[in-house]
Amino acid sequence: MDSWVIGMMLGVSVFLGSIALTALMWAIKKGQFDDQEKFLNSALFDDVDELNDAAKNEKKRAEARKKKEYRPE
Amino acid sequence: MIEDDGHYFCCNGCQGVFHLLSDQGLDGFYKKLGNEKLAPPSQQYEDSSNFDAPAFYERFVKVNDEGFSEVSLIIEGIHCSACVWLNEKALINMDGVIATNINYTNNKAKIVWDDDVVKLSAIIDMIRAIGYDAYPYDASLQEEKANQERKDYYLRIAVAIFATMNMMTIMVAQYAGYFSGISESVKHILNMGEWVLSTPVLFYSGWPFFKGMYYGIKTKTVNMDTLVATGSLLTYIYSIYITITRSGEAYFDSVTMIVTFVLVGKFLEALSKKSIADTLDIMSQHLVSDVKVVEDEAIVTKNVNDVAVGDIIVVSAGDRVALDGEVIEGSGNFDESSLTGESDPIFKESGDNIISGTVSVDADIKYCVTKDYAHSTMSNIVSLLENAMNNKPKIQQLANKLSEYFSSTILLLSLFTFIGWYLYSTNFEQSFMIAISVIVIACPCALALATPVATLVGLSIASKRGILFKEAAQLETMANATVLALDKTGTITQGRPEVVNEKIYREFDKALLYALLLNSKHPIAKAVATYIYEDDILCYDVESLKNIASQGITAMYNAKMLAGGNAKLMRTIGLDVQTDTDNSEFYFAYGGELLAKYELFDMPREDAKEAIANIKKMGIEIVMLTGDHLQSAKKVAALVGIENVAAELTPEQKADYINTLHNEGKSVVMAGDGVNDILALASSDIAIAMGNGSDIAIEVSDVVLLNDTFSSLYDSFKISRRTFRMIKQNLGLSLVYNGITIPLAMAGYVIPLIAAISMSISSLLVVGNSMRIKLGYKD
Repeated sequence: MDSWVIGMMLGVSVFLGSIALTALMWAIKKGQFDDQEKFLNSALFDDVDELNDAAKNEKKRAEARKKKEYRPE
Repeated sequence: MIEDDGHYFCCNGCQGVFHLLSDQGLDGFYKKLGNEKLAPPSQQYEDSSNFDAPAFYERFVKVNDEGFSEVSLIIEGIHCSACVWLNEKALINMDGVIATNINYTNNKAKIVWDDDVVKLSAIIDMIRAIGYDAYPYDASLQEEKANQERKDYYLRIAVAIFATMNMMTIMVAQYAGYFSGISESVKHILNMGEWVLSTPVLFYSGWPFFKGMYYGIKTKTVNMDTLVATGSLLTYIYSIYITITRSGEAYFDSVTMIVTFVLVGKFLEALSKKSIADTLDIMSQHLVSDVKVVEDEAIVTKNVNDVAVGDIIVVSAGDRVALDGEVIEGSGNFDESSLTGESDPIFKESGDNIISGTVSVDADIKYCVTKDYAHSTMSNIVSLLENAMNNKPKIQQLANKLSEYFSSTILLLSLFTFIGWYLYSTNFEQSFMIAISVIVIACPCALALATPVATLVGLSIASKRGILFKEAAQLETMANATVLALDKTGTITQGRPEVVNEKIYREFDKALLYALLLNSKHPIAKAVATYIYEDDILCYDVESLKNIASQGITAMYNAKMLAGGNAKLMRTIGLDVQTDTDNSEFYFAYGGELLAKYELFDMPREDAKEAIANIKKMGIEIVMLTGDHLQSAKKVAALVGIENVAAELTPEQKADYINTLHNEGKSVVMAGDGVNDILALASSDIAIAMGNGSDIAIEVSDVVLLNDTFSSLYDSFKISRRTFRMIKQNLGLSLVYNGITIPLAMAGYVIPLIAAISMSISSLLVVGNSMRIKLGYKD
């Protein structure tokens, strides 16, 4: 077997592994594992309502932010 | 049961909450509840306007970068995920609330809102309206910092373990090739792969070691970090050189292994550190924040900080006193046990001083404030506590002490080896390799693991027996303790009187006495009630109840008088009784005839005597520190076999006593349970709290005895000593190991490959030895 095959396979597997590692690190940084109960329950609370609420809150937050910025001090 | 449109409610409160939720479109809550049962919303809360006070905002509310306000709250009453959902939804639907995040595990919530649109008091009102309560806590930097540190370790360890695992698979090929032959080009590729994997481990995961080394150099000390950092860095550089020149063996695997092992050891230590911040949160929760002040003949609720000296405050039965003062009207009993340890309530009447932190048992009084809040006893204790906790003595761990010498010795030895070999053979490569092998073989893996692994095993055994050590390092400190200081009330004793002697003068219906006793909150009445209680006891209705302060209670039944109380009460109703014991007494008379007498005494815990004898056998000196009278202290001390007694101590004096022992060079373990012990607990080297002690005592303590027995106190000494013995053995083991291998390495008999293998073996030896702590604790 040519050594470049080993090199390529090594490179690809480490690359794939590092993608998973990056995802894990991102999740840790974002605080996804800070509250394990909520983390598990979030799978249960995923109705249409929840999505609507989330969208509504996004909008509300953006509006509030805008208002803050334009307010003359 | 209330019926409303096909729904049934147990009370108006529940109905109110239901309508509130439906109006907001949040009735999904009831579906999400599943099998959880709800309790009716508990009490009516006072005015929430003090949440809007500038002082409150200054202390708890932060303004974030975007100009929104932020507060950290602890929400009470959360018991399921539906509760979290409801709180988050109800709050986010409010105008002006920008974001909410509630942690289910610790009930801590972070709320972000626009202060121009909605006030914090409105947010609090909403939380209360749906049946929960919230109080603020200072999300002080310390706790945030601790969490940040922990997260940082997770990230570094994730990288280290990922790389180590991949490294291992490559190493299988490398070692197979080493023994059965491998082509140079394949080996080169594998080396390159190792190089790529070990780089992030050394420079990202291993960064704390480089930082530690930097601080070490700055303070001119050599620590374990120095050895790990230099060792792994030199090996790394050497391996790069080998890889590029395609000669010899590269040792990237040693680099990752060293960093990963030592990092895990470091993480285990960091994980078990507790933060002072949380303790002070609990403490401030214990402080009374509002008092009822008489102003212009009306009673208004005021924040304690706004009360001035000379104001008149109303205290009713069950209230906790917030400020020091002098009684001007009314009389009654106060429970001072939290401050003095005195088990019997103290009778106070007009002219007597009352102290903040005490609780009114049955007194409805008015008192005049003599000291403002900042100078009152209770807030003094809090500031003293903060002080004591920040100045807690820290005993340096054996491993740390050892590693200083060890690290510098190894670094010097390796330097000498290099110089020696270079002068002898003038072969740079060979001398460098031998010098590296000295560092690799002496790698403090075993040394770094010796303490954490042993303490971890010790901690798990302890926790199985209901002994909770909050920090691993405390096992070592406790093993070296020479003095055990014990509180009396609640620690040696049960903390409540118990009937020890019953004398019936004439048979009577116990249910009558029980009906009478049910109406008193006095601990003696409660103890007698528990004593005579039977499952099928009848319930009589007694009339015209009267609580006579510091005497007892009287009532009418069948037009005859029931009276229960002390000798003084009996004399008042015309009965002559003789007292001949120093136990507390309770008499019961009906219709002018004395029927029974109960003697009560705050008994020591059952296993106290035996445990104390065992602890003494270990060579530990025992003293009893109590705020109680010398006489009753001596009596309890004699019962459990303690010779040294210090009685009538204030909380501050207890702490002073501990400090005096410190000055004599002794290390002190203090066991206590109440607020009166917290200063002493905070000053001691190891503080032990009884599981049923006050929240604050548990928070301040380093060790909590969950099952509340004295034998677990003895166990905790035993386990800590055993663990410490194992730590010493581990350290000895790794030193002996190094003593043998280092000379071999210096003589050039050990190539780095063997060094790397032997390193793993020494670590395994240490871990294996630590497991021996478990022997003899098979449960």
